[in-house]
Amino acid sequence: MSDETNIDLELDLKGLLCPLPMVKVSQNIGKVPVGGVIRAVATDPGAMADIPAWAKSTGNEVLQAEKEGGEFVFLVKRVK
Amino acid sequence: MDSQQLTTLTGVIDKKMNRQLKQYMDICARCAICKDACHQYVGTGDFKYLPARRAELIRQIYKKYFTKSGEFVPALYEARDPDDNLLDELYDSAYACTGCRRCMYYCPFSIDTAWILSVAKAILIAAGRGNEMLGQLADAAIFKGDNAEMFNDVMISGFEDIQEEVREITGNPNSRIPVNKEGADILYVALAGAHTIRPAAVIFEEAGENWTISMFEAANYGFFYGDTDKARLITKRYIDEAKRLGVKEIVVPECGHAYRVAEMFYEAWSKEPMPFKISHILEKVDEYIKSGRITVEKGLIEGKVTYHDPCQIGRNGGIFEQPRDIVKAVTDDFVDLIPNRQEQWCCGGGGGIVAMDEFKETRLASGSKKVEQLRASGASVLACPCENCRLQIEELNEMHGLGLQVWQVIDLVVAAMPLKGKKPVHV
Ligand code: SF4
Ligand code: SF4
Repeated sequence: MSDETNIDLELDLKGLLCPLPMVKVSQNIGKVPVGGVIRAVATDPGAMADIPAWAKSTGNEVLQAEKEGGEFVFLVKRVK
Repeated sequence: MDSQQLTTLTGVIDKKMNRQLKQYMDICARCAICKDACHQYVGTGDFKYLPARRAELIRQIYKKYFTKSGEFVPALYEARDPDDNLLDELYDSAYACTGCRRCMYYCPFSIDTAWILSVAKAILIAAGRGNEMLGQLADAAIFKGDNAEMFNDVMISGFEDIQEEVREITGNPNSRIPVNKEGADILYVALAGAHTIRPAAVIFEEAGENWTISMFEAANYGFFYGDTDKARLITKRYIDEAKRLGVKEIVVPECGHAYRVAEMFYEAWSKEPMPFKISHILEKVDEYIKSGRITVEKGLIEGKVTYHDPCQIGRNGGIFEQPRDIVKAVTDDFVDLIPNRQEQWCCGGGGGIVAMDEFKETRLASGSKKVEQLRASGASVLACPCENCRLQIEELNEMHGLGLQVWQVIDLVVAAMPLKGKKPVHV
C-alpha cells in the first residue's frame, strides 16, 4: 500500500521507546492537511498497539501497521 | 465567561476542596521557603513557577467564591474570577509542575502544592483547557482497555519476539514470557516499551518465578492529565486482568507514578479495597538477590555508578534502600548524589512534562540542579528506575556533555548476572 499512497510526511521513530512513537505521531499530525498521510517507522513493538489505539481514540485512521524485518511501518491518515 | 461556565468551574472547586485542601488555602505564611526547593523555579527564575505562587491562583478563586471576605471586598483579599488570563496562568503552573512534592518536604506547614494543582487541572479540564497530548495518551490507553481483543494478536506477537531475545540472553531455550497464565503468583504490568519487559523477564525466569505478563501498560497519563476517572479506568484494566487470572501480587515496572497510582491512589478512586499486594519490581529484585534466587557478580559493570531517586518512587513512594542495595550488589564503586533520598532534586522530567512540547525550554532549564549533582558525583553510570526521569536525564546528558550512561536498574542487574547467553545492550 505504501507504494500507492501519497506520503505527506515521513517520521523516523526508530530507537524511540514507547509511548514516544505515539506522542511524535500525535505532535506531527497537525502538520499534514486533512486527508494527508504520515509514514512513520518505529522499532519498539509497543507501537503496534499504541499508534492504532491513538488513531482510533482521536478519530484518525491507520491505513497500514506492518512489521517489516525489525521495523514497524505505519501509514496514518489525518481524518479531522 | 458566562454564568453557566462559572457555575461549572466553582462546582469543581467545591467538589474537590476537602478539609485538608481548605486548610492549605488558609495556612500558607508566604515565607517563600518553597522557592528554593522547586527545581523549576530555581532553574528558570520565573516567578510563575514559585510553588506558593502556583497555589495562590487557586487560592484567589477559592477566596472569591468560598469566603465572605473575598466575596465582598475581593481587591483586599486578592480574590479573582477564573477569567481567561487566570486560566492561562493556571495552565502553565499546573501542567508544568512535575508533582515532585519537594516543595512540600521543605514547607514548614507541609503544604502539598502538587495536590492543590490537581484541583487546577480539574478546573482546566472542566473549562475545556486540559492538556491535549496527555488527554490523548489517556484516551488511547482507555481505548486499549475497552477493545482488548482488537490488540490481542499484536501484543502476543510482540511478546513472542521479546521472548526470543530473552532466550538469547539467558542462553536457555525454555525461558518464557507467559501470557494469560491463570494461577500465576505475579502479574507483571510493564510499560509499552520492550525494554521494560526484556530484562524483567530474564530476572523472573532466572528466579524461577511463577509469573505472567499483563496485556496492558502501567503508565497512567490520566493521572498526569488530572482526570481521576480516566486514571481509574486505566488502572482498572490490569486490576480486572489480575482478578481474572487469580494472581496474588501485581508488580509494577521501573516507572515512577505507576507505583504510586496502584499502591496509593487506586483504592480511593475505585472505592474498593485493593485485592492484591502491589510491589515495585525493584522490591522483588532486591528480594531475589538477598535470598539467592538470582546471582549477580561484581566487576561486570565498569565505572563509578550513582543512583537518582525518582520523586514518585523515593520521596513520594518511600522506596529508597532497595534500589541502592541492588546497585551495591553489582558494584563496589557506588557514589550517592548529594542531596539524596527525601531531599533528592527532581530531574525536571516528571508529571508527563516530557510529552508536552510547549514546556520543553522550561523542562531543560529546570534540570540545572540535577546536572550539578551528576557532575559533582564523578559517576560515569547512572541507575535510574523511572522512564520519564531517564528521558529527561538522557537529554540533559547530551546537552551538557556529561558523558553518562543512563541505565534502568534491571538492566544493570541483568548485565551483572552470570548468564550463558549473549550480553544485552542496555537501552
Ligand atoms: S511539586 Fe515540585 S515542580 Fe511542583 S511546585 Fe512543588 S517543587 Fe515545584
Ligand atoms: S513554604 Fe509553605 S508556607 Fe511558605 S510560602 Fe511556600 S507553601 Fe507557603
